[in-house]
Amino acid sequence: MSAAAVSPGLRLWGAYVRWSARQPVLASLVPFVPVLVLWAAVVQSGIFPRVFLPGPIEVVEKFGTLMANGILPAYLEDSVVRLAAGTAVGLAIGIPLGLLVGLSDRAYRVLWPVLLFFQAIGDIAWLPILLIWFGFGLTTMIFVIVYTVLFPVVLNTVLGVRSVPLELHRAALSLGASRARVLWEVVLPGALPNIMTGLRNGLGFLMFDARRAGSVVEILLGMVVLGVLWYVVDSWVLAPIERATGQRWGLVTR
Amino acid sequence: MKSLTIDHLQKTYFDPFADKQVTAIRDISLSVAAGDFVSVVGPSGCGKTTLLNLIAGFLAPTAGEIRVDGRAVNGPGPDRGVVFQSFALFPWRTVLDNVAFGPKMRGVAKARRHEIAREYLALAGLGHAAERYPNELSGGMQQRVGVVRALANEPDVLLMDEPFASVDAQTRMTLQEELTRIWAQRRSTVLFITHDVNEAVFLANRVIVLSHGAVLDDIAIDLPRPRAWDALIEDAGFKALSARVLQQVRAA
Repeated sequence: MSAAAVSPGLRLWGAYVRWSARQPVLASLVPFVPVLVLWAAVVQSGIFPRVFLPGPIEVVEKFGTLMANGILPAYLEDSVVRLAAGTAVGLAIGIPLGLLVGLSDRAYRVLWPVLLFFQAIGDIAWLPILLIWFGFGLTTMIFVIVYTVLFPVVLNTVLGVRSVPLELHRAALSLGASRARVLWEVVLPGALPNIMTGLRNGLGFLMFDARRAGSVVEILLGMVVLGVLWYVVDSWVLAPIERATGQRWGLVTR
Repeated sequence: MKSLTIDHLQKTYFDPFADKQVTAIRDISLSVAAGDFVSVVGPSGCGKTTLLNLIAGFLAPTAGEIRVDGRAVNGPGPDRGVVFQSFALFPWRTVLDNVAFGPKMRGVAKARRHEIAREYLALAGLGHAAERYPNELSGGMQQRVGVVRALANEPDVLLMDEPFASVDAQTRMTLQEELTRIWAQRRSTVLFITHDVNEAVFLANRVIVLSHGAVLDDIAIDLPRPRAWDALIEDAGFKALSARVLQQVRAA
């Protein structure tokens, strides 16, 4: 068989691969076309009543009106603030605590079971109590952020710290590093891929935790908006950091 | 380069699972002259790695003393460079920055420590790999970096813990020849731990056989230098010495 006999399907696929390499942003939208088509088809088929399952058009219309009356921008701002607060808390409290528990055998023995226990409960279980104690205000929100982001960051930081081989500590010490330098030069970079994973998980939970009730159209719109926001944070912020660190160093396989 | 003296060293530790004290080093006294190359061989469990960890300061002795250039060892320090079997390169640093790590800890300015690192990399023929990350290199290349990183810090004593055990046989021979060449140039004091009798004899001026945490034999290796495998592999003197060391290791 000659090399020229490439099937038309394969040719088309090749053209698509070349195009998506040139247009990565556009190409990342293409997989959503069948999702939209399927959604519209299910709506059209009438399996579910229209009130319970609005179509893409209604959601886009709703997007327009909620943008115009300022509700959606405020909602987006809320979400971004939540993400920023979650990141700040995760980094400021989660990493130091994770380093302590990861490095000290005593702290590990005492704190690790407790951390696992409270992580397993999950913030949803706390929410009714929190609403009774603090109402739906800033305190409750801070609690939820701390709870949701902190645990994944702490637990993953601990795992990261403990994954750094003993030889790397020893190598640094016998090259003249102080304990403090070992923390900065060896432990932190060694744990970084895990810390990123923890932050990613925590922020992910946090975002989708905060869906609001409303009409079905609004809920669907909220899902779409949060999905897009998360996609942007993930692919424009988190993924590039991971590519430049753990993947580059060979600590994480691509 | 400074000398190393070990005086009635003992190391026992508590094994919580066996619920008893285990003796790793029974009683070792040893003196390594400045600029000497000493191999330590013995079967697994003879205490050779414990000995290295004690000299490096990674473990504290139960009794006895270790001195480098007259100063008592108390924890790890840059006067004793260590080359690890697992290479132990920092994956997040380039080859250049791995080698420059020791000088950086001493507070050497960036331009100067990179200059030092480049000089040492050139010594091992690694100049072209300076900007690469360790995971992009073969095992043999990684261990060359490991050796160069330890040397670039100019330690009084170089401690090597089965450094070539995890590279393939051909690369190992090349690395052994390179090590003898670099040692001849720099005259570092080297303590080389291995379980490979031929390697011990090929590299050293002196081979120490350990058995059950004590020195069983101390054999002078008076083979001429420079040493190359092509010449030594059929050399009667080399064969006789290797046979003698092997006999002792098997008796150990």
